[in-house]
Amino acid sequence: MGGPLRDFVPLKLSLSSADFSSVGGVYLQSRLDFLRGAQNPDGGWGYFPGKQPWFEPTTYAMLAMQGKPDSGAALDRAWKLVRSWQLPDGSSRPGAQVDGGTWVTAHAVTLACVRGVYDAKTRAAVDWLLKVVGAENTLAMRAASFLHLLKTKLDVSHQGWPWREGNASWIEPTAHTLVALKKAASQYHSDELDRRIREGEDLILSRKCSDGGWNSGNPNVLNFDLPSYPETTALALLGLQGRSAAELGGPLDLARRFRKETKSSLARVWLTIALRNFGDAIEPPADEARTSNDILLAALEALGHPDGNFALLHTGGRV
Amino acid sequence: MTRRKFLPLAGAAVVGTYAGLKLQRPPKLPDGPPGNSAVSVMRARSYSDDLVSRMLEGIRQCGLNPRGKRVLLKPNLVEFDSATVINTDASVIAAAVEVFEKLGASEVRIGEGPGHRRDTLDLADDAHYRSTIPKFEAIFTDLNRDDVSPVRGFAEESEFYFAKTVLAADLIVSLAKMKTHHWAGATLSMKNFFGLVPGSVYGWPKNKLHYIGIPESVAALNRKFRNTFAIVDGIVGMEGNGPIQGTPKPAGVLVMGSDLVAVDATCCRIMGIDPEKVDYLRLAADLGHVHPDRIEQRGETIASVRTNFALIDEYKELRLA
Repeated sequence: MGGPLRDFVPLKLSLSSADFSSVGGVYLQSRLDFLRGAQNPDGGWGYFPGKQPWFEPTTYAMLAMQGKPDSGAALDRAWKLVRSWQLPDGSSRPGAQVDGGTWVTAHAVTLACVRGVYDAKTRAAVDWLLKVVGAENTLAMRAASFLHLLKTKLDVSHQGWPWREGNASWIEPTAHTLVALKKAASQYHSDELDRRIREGEDLILSRKCSDGGWNSGNPNVLNFDLPSYPETTALALLGLQGRSAAELGGPLDLARRFRKETKSSLARVWLTIALRNFGDAIEPPADEARTSNDILLAALEALGHPDGNFALLHTGGRV
Repeated sequence: MTRRKFLPLAGAAVVGTYAGLKLQRPPKLPDGPPGNSAVSVMRARSYSDDLVSRMLEGIRQCGLNPRGKRVLLKPNLVEFDSATVINTDASVIAAAVEVFEKLGASEVRIGEGPGHRRDTLDLADDAHYRSTIPKFEAIFTDLNRDDVSPVRGFAEESEFYFAKTVLAADLIVSLAKMKTHHWAGATLSMKNFFGLVPGSVYGWPKNKLHYIGIPESVAALNRKFRNTFAIVDGIVGMEGNGPIQGTPKPAGVLVMGSDLVAVDATCCRIMGIDPEKVDYLRLAADLGHVHPDRIEQRGETIASVRTNFALIDEYKELRLA
């Protein structure tokens, strides 16, 4: 089992692990080299080399390379690109080829906080996130839920975030937005920001599956309990950083079990990042070079390495 | 506020909402397009049977000629659980690759965008796709993370995005699994097209489709993509609480055809489900044939292969008399 639950004690997470005397040079370096080589001329990253740039892989490539030697120019080009994807309403497009702001606006705020950019554009992105509410949070839907007319057992009284404005809230976009708003809280503190963070946390907690983790956002359909997924459980935990041991003890134990058992590389690395941010001392991966050409996976693997930048997603204690 | 006091206040709002949540079935099915549709039911008792021969025969019976076409095979790859029957079996996909290459397709690719946020290639590995399908990685595209282009005229959206691999295909072959489904009643060749929608734009699951409505989205996707063929893997299907938590149900068939409405209607009858009560088939009944008089059954008869799939309480009313 992993390390102790220390979520109500402010964690001091170093970007360089003191827990392990020898950390994998090849593992981390091969992934960072791959990211450098896979950056598109416009500054962004696709999900795979040579493909259209998307906000999501660009975000995690940037986080993985943040502060690493010889990365400054590449990061500046990437930052310029993702900023160009911001729309007048403050939201961000998920890529140059797609119109309309989406969940990646949370990533824009997280990146701005990591880079220490607290300007009008970041303010506009935060304001957009505060404005957007999952579409299930309406009087009619609450009434339908109250009268058990829905196929799902959802508490629709909480306000979370959708993948796209005008759709219902789901766990993953809500978790990403919680990380972003918690990171932005020191600069953009307001009662509304605090309230939305609490609401988002409560939404995630209310949608916990019976096995203690989270799936996309439906813990029960037609009176059948649905299983949780490792990836979503990891992201939910990142969004819930700072909540109490009573609330997160079970999910963290499940996350540790998921991490040992999962066959999904994406799940394993998300769980590693989440658990490291809860203070778990996780053994370093085998010091092996990258084998996949999946850019998102490579970036997350670099981020989750003991010498990686996983702590950039740390949001500290309860707001 | 007590429930009793709340009821009158909420009633009006709820009626309107519930009408949107529970699809209103139209009173009468439309006639469908002119002519009849051929659907082939080929018996295959196990995945070690000669699936290539059966597919070739079924395709011949349905009159499909894929020569020179860029073919996209769309399996149903859903979850890590190699012990059950959630995913289209790897041997069915491998056979389809061989068949369409033999029939002279200019290109055969496999594309899938799973509804859950999982590692798609690891998922394919767990489902034995990598080990069973020759050069799998070279011909596979993760449709959730492919490059995209906008199209107009999908559902009521002014613009909707699809993977470029999907838009580039001349023929999309739905390699679906024969399963019950807790939202749609059944998931067959038409519902399988949910995986054509990119998660990178619409999220996981494909949130926009759920918001439009599942039956409406199934119909809209099939209205958008008309150059299609279906091969439904009913060798071992799933009954009960599908599409994930159900139990294996051997039906011992491959069901094929160019009219996906007719294919799904036939699958429903094999499963003991009345297709005229399945909402998405009613909505799509102008695209193809639901009524048995308009479906030319080739290969096995429905009666000879029918095996009732267990239905959860919500869908007991769908049982075919």
